[in-house]
Amino acid sequence: MITLESVSKRYGSQTVIHDLSFSVEKGEIVGFLGPNGSGKTTTLRMIAGYTTASAGRVSVAGYDMATQNDTAASHIGYLPEHPPLYDTLDVTAYLRFVAKAKGVARSEVASEFDRVVAACRLEDVARREIYKLSKGYRQRVGLAQALLGKPQVLLLDEPTIGLDPGQLHEARDIIRSFGAEHAVLFSTHILSEVTMICKRVAIINNGRLLAIDSPSGLQQALEQTNRVSLQVTAPVDELRQELLSVDGVRSVEVEADGDRLQVECQIEPRDGVEAAIARAVAPRWPLHSLGRQEPTLENIFLQYVSEG
Amino acid sequence: MKGALAVYQKELRLYFRSPIAYFVMAIFLVGTGYFFTYSIFLTGNARMTETFQNMAILLLLVLPVVSMRLFTSEYNGRTMELLATLPLRPWQIVLGKFAGAVTILLLMTAGTLIDVVPLYLFGNPEGMTILSGYIGFILLGMTCLAIGQLFSALTQNQIVAALITVAVLLAFWFIANAQRFQTSYAWRNVLGYLSFSRHFEEFVQGLVRTESVIFYLVVCAIALILNTSYLRWQR
Repeated sequence: MITLESVSKRYGSQTVIHDLSFSVEKGEIVGFLGPNGSGKTTTLRMIAGYTTASAGRVSVAGYDMATQNDTAASHIGYLPEHPPLYDTLDVTAYLRFVAKAKGVARSEVASEFDRVVAACRLEDVARREIYKLSKGYRQRVGLAQALLGKPQVLLLDEPTIGLDPGQLHEARDIIRSFGAEHAVLFSTHILSEVTMICKRVAIINNGRLLAIDSPSGLQQALEQTNRVSLQVTAPVDELRQELLSVDGVRSVEVEADGDRLQVECQIEPRDGVEAAIARAVAPRWPLHSLGRQEPTLENIFLQYVSEG
Repeated sequence: MKGALAVYQKELRLYFRSPIAYFVMAIFLVGTGYFFTYSIFLTGNARMTETFQNMAILLLLVLPVVSMRLFTSEYNGRTMELLATLPLRPWQIVLGKFAGAVTILLLMTAGTLIDVVPLYLFGNPEGMTILSGYIGFILLGMTCLAIGQLFSALTQNQIVAALITVAVLLAFWFIANAQRFQTSYAWRNVLGYLSFSRHFEEFVQGLVRTESVIFYLVVCAIALILNTSYLRWQR
């Protein structure tokens, strides 16, 4: 439904997106994860047709965005980072304008309006001017306009930013409910969100795609690189030397916790390193605990971003 | 055409939900009312010639206030991203917005018709001369709006858009004055032909010449085409 093939974007001499390739199929929610300024918004804008790619090909619903932009636009629902709302219009007038602009037939405008108002739970504010709405409602009006005209592709740029916990929960429910009928690509820098909502996660930094996989797939890929933490009662320098001499230990961080030392070891991605640490430490000093840290999505993200 | 109609309806709603349309219309109608009363009492003739001349100058100053928000408000409200990604072609956006602004112009013009009533009540005016004056007035207004809309698209700031538009419109209005500094016959002709006031003068005198109608329509079309091309280029 959404396909990017070797897409690059340059502004003058500066390249902000480098050779980006991925695709999103119908019925799939893909989280687009990256720190601020990583190129998420630029990528979504290229897919939405707001800006064109400098190189490569972006296609949506089979249409090339470089040449068939106008036709493709009717298959896209796009919520930019700042919901594009006309503050002085009321919600009904605004949504009716978007429906008409999307070419929804006159006879279907009313039913289409009712559908999106119900999906985004806007019944209570339908007659209210947009400038009077809370941030949560404004975001939902933005989502509602994206849903009008039953687009096959939904592009949501940080749809949950600035929402309070209650609003967040609701917004996530709404996005999740879109997944079955649409191809959804939504950007965020909230890591927990992607595990809750997405089938796949694309990690981007400095305009480069670092990884794209399911949250569990990413976790598995990095399982071997996790850290080993141990609690030992031992002299700091001797312990550090001993650990660094173990084959497979890359680095050691030591922190004193009373008479015990809290130690974190970064190890190489292979089996047996954990056991080797135990064999090196246990005979010499009291080893209170030793275990592997499960990689959280946060660690995975940071690892990819720091490597990328 | 449906897309342009949607944009047009949206523009009208926005005009009437902000104080600008009411404010501009009030200023314009008070101004034309004053000029009308003044000219009638001064000349004692049941004609609109002087009133039209003054209305045109007022129009050059007032219409940039109507046109200045057409695109700048979309940029500042970050709604341009919506317009540009909806299945709307650039010409539909340009035409819908232009039609919205022209509707405000027509309402302003309709408001001045009240001045014509006492002319018919107490005198015997030339109806066709007044009609041709109104045709010229609307054509001039449309041209001003098209130019104003173009500058509104070219800048992010409403005040800058309005000031540039006023400057350009006044330049076109007074351009014929530069004729006296030209010795070349061809240049004198060109400057005379480009003058908004020369063409408007003909309408006010009751002369609807095809050349003048085409002049205003061509300037209008050029501004709208440049506006459309700019939107396309922005992508």
